[in-house]
Amino acid sequence: MRITRRKLLRSLPGPFAAAALWPFASAQEIKTEQILGGKPDAPVRIEVFSDFQCPACRSLYLDTMKQVLRDDCPEDKVCLIYHEFPLKNHQFSRLAARYSLAAQRLGRRQWQAVMESLYTSQSQWSIDGNIDVIVAKAISVEDLQKVRKLIAEASINDAVNLDLTLGNQKEITSTPTMFIYAGGKEQKIVGGLEYSLLKEYIDRVVK
Amino acid sequence: MAVAYKILHWFCRIILAGIFLYSGYVKIKAPLEFASSLSAYQLFPAKLIFPIADYFPWVEILLGIVLLIGWKIRFVALAAAGLLSFFLCILAVTYFRGIEADCGCFGSGDRISPFTLARDFMMLLPALFLIFEPQLRMWRQTQPQT
Repeated sequence: MRITRRKLLRSLPGPFAAAALWPFASAQEIKTEQILGGKPDAPVRIEVFSDFQCPACRSLYLDTMKQVLRDDCPEDKVCLIYHEFPLKNHQFSRLAARYSLAAQRLGRRQWQAVMESLYTSQSQWSIDGNIDVIVAKAISVEDLQKVRKLIAEASINDAVNLDLTLGNQKEITSTPTMFIYAGGKEQKIVGGLEYSLLKEYIDRVVK
Repeated sequence: MAVAYKILHWFCRIILAGIFLYSGYVKIKAPLEFASSLSAYQLFPAKLIFPIADYFPWVEILLGIVLLIGWKIRFVALAAAGLLSFFLCILAVTYFRGIEADCGCFGSGDRISPFTLARDFMMLLPALFLIFEPQLRMWRQTQPQT
């Protein structure tokens, strides 16, 4: 019987698993549907905890992560994962997170389209909470019908809660917070990150 | 009195060495995190960000080790004070320019604030004691005994 590292880690109690894991950064299982871009075995893994109503999250997505999705994910350098972390003081961010997770279930293309649309029109829907109009502009009518059905499901709400729990376990207090896993290191970065800086780091890791 | 000075001397050395060793370790563990803080200060040219992020933590580690060993203690304390003052100035300039940036001193999520400035100033005190310890001792000896 072949014992993989993952199997071995599952059989160990918490602190021993953490010790066995060293110098690998994270034991967290990656769900394929949570990947916004790239392959799970990419040398650099970026996990972002984001809130759709937060302006810094908007900048991070539109100025940095969009370029990562365009340039680095197709080259298999980066695996980009997005988690929802709607803050309590943002009235409509949980609803936006539900729309986003519903689009995630349709596929990466639809998910990326909805995320971009939500961040681009942030100032618009943040006032009236009319997210449906914004999402309707990003995807086809058929997909919109599916999204509308999905957001009513309890499983979507559970998925948001799951991301929130994960974020709380990782002691996140503000958004955006990202975790970058590369070369056996876990780096927590709170706030924005310029693409030029991230790109230089990615290229240094992936030589 | 001599014993009190000796205790204070060792206390300052251990505190300062601990600060530098921990700070260096945190930065070596997360180079991008430190590079991101350096970039946020908007003071260094982009080309220098990663070289600083690569080498500066090792300087801190080296200072920490030398402080523990006790080699040329006054010169090393002077270098430590210089480094701390340099970063204190950078943090103060960044804060008063109204830039919201991470301190980058001991990892992420530590925004520059009056608290971080005061904390960094406090770190300077053990270094100053080690530099001026001989003068302080001499001054104490010249004081009339009561």
